Amino acid sequence: MSEWYGYVGKILEVDLSSGRTKIRELKEDEADMFIGGIGLAAKIMFDEVDPRVEPFSPDNVLVFMTGPLTGTMVQCSGRYVVAAKSPLTMAWGEAHASGFWGVELKKAGFDGIIIKGKSSNPVYLYIHDGEVEIRDASKYWGLTTVETDLGLKSDLGDKAVRVAAIGPAGERLVRYAIIASDITPDGPRVAGRTGMGAVMGSKNLKAIVVKGNGQIRIKEPEKLRSNINRLLPYILSYPTTQLYSIYGTAGEVEEFHEYGDMPIKNFTVGKWDGILNISGRAFREKGIVKAHRACWACPIHCWKYVEVNNVKGRGPEYETIASLGSMLMIDDPYYIAEANDLCNKYGIDTISTGGTIAWAIESFEKGLLTKEDTGGLELKWGDKETVLKLIELIGKREGFGKLLGEGCRVASRSVGRGTEKYCMHVKGTEMPMHDPRAFKGMGLQYATSNRGADHLQGLTFRIEQGERITDLKIYERYDRVSYIGKGRVVATMETWHEVLESLVICKFISIPPLHLAGMYTLVTGRKKTLQDLLTAGRRIFTLKRMFNVINGISRKDDTLPERFLKEPLSEGGARGQVVELEPMLNEYYNYMGWDENGIPTRETLKELGILPIVERFMNNK
Amino acid sequence: MSTGEEGPSLISEDEIKSEITRVMKALYERGLVSALGGNVSARVPGANEFWITPSGVFKGAVNVDDLVKVDLDGNVVEGVLRPSTETPFHAAIYKVRPDVNAVIHAHNPVTLGLALAGVNLKPISVEAIMTLRKVEVVPFAFPGTDQLAKLVSEAALKGARAIILMNHGVVGMGANLLEAEAVVETLEEVAMAQFVAMALGKEPPVIPEKDVELYMKLYFQG
Repeated sequence: MSEWYGYVGKILEVDLSSGRTKIRELKEDEADMFIGGIGLAAKIMFDEVDPRVEPFSPDNVLVFMTGPLTGTMVQCSGRYVVAAKSPLTMAWGEAHASGFWGVELKKAGFDGIIIKGKSSNPVYLYIHDGEVEIRDASKYWGLTTVETDLGLKSDLGDKAVRVAAIGPAGERLVRYAIIASDITPDGPRVAGRTGMGAVMGSKNLKAIVVKGNGQIRIKEPEKLRSNINRLLPYILSYPTTQLYSIYGTAGEVEEFHEYGDMPIKNFTVGKWDGILNISGRAFREKGIVKAHRACWACPIHCWKYVEVNNVKGRGPEYETIASLGSMLMIDDPYYIAEANDLCNKYGIDTISTGGTIAWAIESFEKGLLTKEDTGGLELKWGDKETVLKLIELIGKREGFGKLLGEGCRVASRSVGRGTEKYCMHVKGTEMPMHDPRAFKGMGLQYATSNRGADHLQGLTFRIEQGERITDLKIYERYDRVSYIGKGRVVATMETWHEVLESLVICKFISIPPLHLAGMYTLVTGRKKTLQDLLTAGRRIFTLKRMFNVINGISRKDDTLPERFLKEPLSEGGARGQVVELEPMLNEYYNYMGWDENGIPTRETLKELGILPIVERFMNNK
Repeated sequence: MSTGEEGPSLISEDEIKSEITRVMKALYERGLVSALGGNVSARVPGANEFWITPSGVFKGAVNVDDLVKVDLDGNVVEGVLRPSTETPFHAAIYKVRPDVNAVIHAHNPVTLGLALAGVNLKPISVEAIMTLRKVEVVPFAFPGTDQLAKLVSEAALKGARAIILMNHGVVGMGANLLEAEAVVETLEEVAMAQFVAMALGKEPPVIPEKDVELYMKLYFQG
């Protein structure tokens, strides 16, 4: 048996159909090739399912994974990842969350959990110090995430347990339902995108409660502590870190608006005075933000705690301020805090919620949706009462909310009438809140990310704002509205972010890549250079791509809504721009070792050592 | 002078590492680098790998465990901290200069100040002639980039031991760390002397050209 540092070395397997559980030992070669986190999750998905599995079938598998750095003294290492076949993309799905839940899972004795099958009745998992119990959750079924968290803590008589739960939306299979964790008192943190909460709901699994007293062993603790302490001032001098400390991600509202990046009115308007009312500064000055909170080992504390009207919990992030604010032409910060809270309680992704509602409003405005479709609701821009009503309908999956809960791709296809044009998505995932006409590389990143439109798989806009990462050989300044050289930049950043999600560490901490490679070595005692990590990152990204390829995804799907390719904005920082996607895609495929159709070549799969993993599904395609 | 082809080295890696930390500390104490600035590297003569100070940690107290061994392509071979941001130009110098086994990058304030004012260093002292010889100046390039490494290696190829990086700092190199250290310190010493003379309104007299030639003959052709 291997001696593990950083890793626990054990993965829990739970079969909800049979009620059986078992413990799988982590294998040396798995850790070596796939690091942890999303890398191991991708490997496990290929071990356990045919990628063509139906997302809501009991045969789909839901994987929770931490990484070798999770819960260590390395800054911002409180994260975990979730992966499954997604009901939103109908291909690869993943989401990530920070906080403390992942740390507690490791302390409870496991690097991750593989959930298979489907329970016949609502259940929750109670995992404590190496033990696991599948318990009845009937009394929590139908409750919000907050009610579930409080109820479980009260019934278990232990306020210190960490709960990850779905809300009513996950139970009712809203395709963009979230998994919320660290829900009370100040949360939640959420694994938000691609409907991982709906997969959990499809298995009749309401929550996973974790509690543990285990120690995460570090190979060279003194050296690690010394290096981390000495590097802290250097890391904290990063400008974004400082901005996030004060305002959270909401601090970027004004700047992104200046760039013409912040979407307004479903990406049709380039400039809007309303943003001044919903900026990070406004949330602070109006006294809505009451306190700063930090996840495990985090010196940034970008998590803002808000109290307003009936809301007490985590404040809205930049993405939510845009998706439920500027996208819908609503500039009321009190409403945004409330709408955010409602989404969190029902358990739906704020980005997809805003994107889908924006689709509905624009379609209604064009006369393509009518009151007959909406159950009598009149949809218009800037109408906060109606949006709050819609959030509730989606969360409960009632009335017009049934259609909206499908996400805008499925909804627009089922309505037809040309409404597809107003659905801003890539591969079924609603667009995040960065307009690719303002940052062309972001357009390529959205087009090629494995879980559909994804701002986090690369944060390419940081490079396009002028950041250089010399460790990744990104030396030059890139013009944000030029497509030149962006293929390589996006490929590099996507690969690096795959490493971050495998280690698992927050993207907001600016530990330079070469330092991070050293920290991995000090934590685990397994020597890896930055180049080793980057090779693993490319391996993981390509494996996930193959999951999608087996689901029929190719170049035709690596695209953007027509709005970004053909319709320039008439004002603002991205005025006159459209995304020149094709030349960027060519450069990108070439750099990744994929053919012109976006399929990783056999040589690439061989070089990365993943041909044997994917071959069996390719042969009987 | 070492040619890098002299057989087994007389200096061990441990001695080199210890010497690097001594030099780094001395540079900090002399005010030639700031808390997070500057970097020092050295190699066993002729080796294709070298030890360099890390980035991001306090330069007044770098210890041997902090040092990072990298190859001439800048890949980390040993060590857990990130090697200096300027690793690319250190590597570039070692690639083109087999006689160089130590490279120091400091932020000499007076040397840089004169360069920014467009004032060239002159042969005002014997050390200015003997230690510095010809000082090359390279235009600004962003720190840590391949572009800076290219400019520095081009200057090094001209045989320089001292290079001024405009809007940035200086580079000193030598057959060993002591020689490189002497280059960096002499740059500042000469710049300071010249600056004092100029601040007092005088154009500093230089050592006559025939004496410069004599020194050159005695020391480099003898």
